[in-house]
Amino acid sequence: MEAVAEAKSVYLTAFEQLGNTGPSWLRSLHERGIHAFEARGFPGPREEAWRKTNLRPVTSAEFPVADSQGVAPKALVERLGDLGDSYHLVFVDGRLAADLSDLSDLAKGLTVTPLSQYEDSAPERLQSALGNRVDIDWHPFAALNTAFFADGAYIHVARGAMIEKPIAVTHVITAEANGRAVYPRLVVEAEEGAEVRVVERFIGDDEASTLVCPVSELSAGDNTILDYSRLQEDGAAVMNIGTVNLVAKRNTSLRGAFVADGGRLGRVDLVADLEGEGGEIDCNGIYLTEDRQFVDFHTWFNHREGNCFSRQRFKGILQDRSETSFDGLVKVFEGAQKTDAVQENRNLILGKRALAHSNPRLEIFADDVKCTHGSTVGELDEQALFYLRTRGISAEGAKGMLTLAFAGEIVDMFKVDGVRSHVRGVLMRRLGVEDADIGEIL
Amino acid sequence: MALLEIRNLHVNVEGTEILKGLDLTMDTGEVHAIMGPNGGGKSTLAKALVGDEAYEITEGEVLYNGKDLLEMDPEVRAREGVFLGFQYPVEIPGVSNTYFLKAAVNAMRKHKGEPEIDAMEFLQMVRERARRVKLDETLLQRPVNQGFSGGEKKRNEIFHMSVLEPKLGILDETDSGLDIDALRIVSEGVNAMRDGERSFMVITHYQRLLQHIVPDVVHVLVDGRIVKTGGKELAEELEEKGYEGFDEAAA
Repeated sequence: MEAVAEAKSVYLTAFEQLGNTGPSWLRSLHERGIHAFEARGFPGPREEAWRKTNLRPVTSAEFPVADSQGVAPKALVERLGDLGDSYHLVFVDGRLAADLSDLSDLAKGLTVTPLSQYEDSAPERLQSALGNRVDIDWHPFAALNTAFFADGAYIHVARGAMIEKPIAVTHVITAEANGRAVYPRLVVEAEEGAEVRVVERFIGDDEASTLVCPVSELSAGDNTILDYSRLQEDGAAVMNIGTVNLVAKRNTSLRGAFVADGGRLGRVDLVADLEGEGGEIDCNGIYLTEDRQFVDFHTWFNHREGNCFSRQRFKGILQDRSETSFDGLVKVFEGAQKTDAVQENRNLILGKRALAHSNPRLEIFADDVKCTHGSTVGELDEQALFYLRTRGISAEGAKGMLTLAFAGEIVDMFKVDGVRSHVRGVLMRRLGVEDADIGEIL
Repeated sequence: MALLEIRNLHVNVEGTEILKGLDLTMDTGEVHAIMGPNGGGKSTLAKALVGDEAYEITEGEVLYNGKDLLEMDPEVRAREGVFLGFQYPVEIPGVSNTYFLKAAVNAMRKHKGEPEIDAMEFLQMVRERARRVKLDETLLQRPVNQGFSGGEKKRNEIFHMSVLEPKLGILDETDSGLDIDALRIVSEGVNAMRDGERSFMVITHYQRLLQHIVPDVVHVLVDGRIVKTGGKELAEELEEKGYEGFDEAAA
């Protein structure tokens, strides 16, 4: 208990020393964040939702806010173009890198603004959207983000606007942020009848042992189509603990695509709320782990209205001595009749000492619903491997082929072309599959 | 020189000896039928020849084209021209039949120092070979064997063989699960490949497949050994009399 109390005061002291500056509406939000964190503290090891996540590396050290100069190394800058043609906004160690961003010729109805550019005159809708969804009283890292974020992206799509080009928001973590904390923030609001695709990406220097605590809040109004991809490709030593909140209103289609690759510790709490009849949230993800990496996906899908549809398909590919956890909840609220929910988690163990935890859960308070969940943890099929080898495919090629086939179903669901081909490339590299013919399987 | 020389082959499966000193020689261009009762070791012979690790070779040697076959990894045996048509082909979800075959063809070409196959040329070949065994074209795009009927799986095996063009085709109970029309089509596929350069080892319990693929030599495999070798008429004899007499001979 002492250690926890001490950790709290470190953050409070840092908050006081930093000085809570900026426009008044933002100052009060930061205050709320630090107060929530102080009241909550870090979760203890016995807390069910945090039981599998080893927070010791986070709670046993201090992580002052990164104060680096926002200069990204060339190698990381070169990766910015990987996703193809897009509007892009780049943050380096939590601060806007204007020279790396390109928001020229924004489509009609689209607003993309760094949060640091807003003064007291910030739009009312931003003020009410920012922090509106995320539960800072429950999630200490979201509370820390709310207390300390210095910048971020606000994306607003006006009623009926169809935005063709994806908007990529990239968070670059440099070696300068080593031993420090970075708090990325993203707010997306799509108004009624709009259509937009947003890609949020984390890349970074392998030398940076940085605590990254992002908060992403995305809300889709009635009859909108919102496609969100989150590519977590952190540097090897990063600890990335974030929250994503998705809200779908009436007849809305909201798609999420998640990739977790890299980082020493990664956790995402994905909270998806279906708040209007006919809403649909479809989230698919792949996590790839190696060495001693740990990745934890917690999903909280709340069916609050009837006739809504949700899909979750998460697949893990575990190498070496890595460990993963998937804990997914589908909660059907009273009155949310005709709910149709599917939750799947499949894990492929490639390392003899890798460990996958899977805990799919359902809580149903309505009587006319269709909810299913499935969970598997397995290895590559030896017979299939042998079969492929008897046709001339090498042992390594056969492993790669079967692993890519396992992941392929999810990759195909990534709707943004640039993201899909990028994820394919990530998989091929990670699995050491160079043969172009094997790659065609995806 | 013989294409395949098996000398005193002993094979264990899960600690039990199944092949107990098997000898067999096949020449280039020949079709040999391996017949025998269930449990005699026919499938074990097939699996051992393609290198399944579950089949432990405890004694003996196998020369293929004068090279030590048992020293080669399964994929190298395939690239050297040894093909097994499985008795129970596995389903491989997510791997398209066509892409998989293209990877296999290119692996073999690379082994021979040949350039990769042209995509158009490959597609034409695949379509033509699929027609040969009347394999529905939709099965080309589907994942390997997934959701195929028993007969479709067997045809798919022969289709793979016709695309990969091995020197030695081993067909393990390819006739099971095939109705008479399918049996004829599959046999025609095999016969079309008989060109005096390719050899086939046809493993079967019954004689009916051998009415269509007429063997040059018939071997009777009982209790882990070849107990009799003869011409095609031996198959007819076995069909009439069964394996009872051979069981005794083996014992």
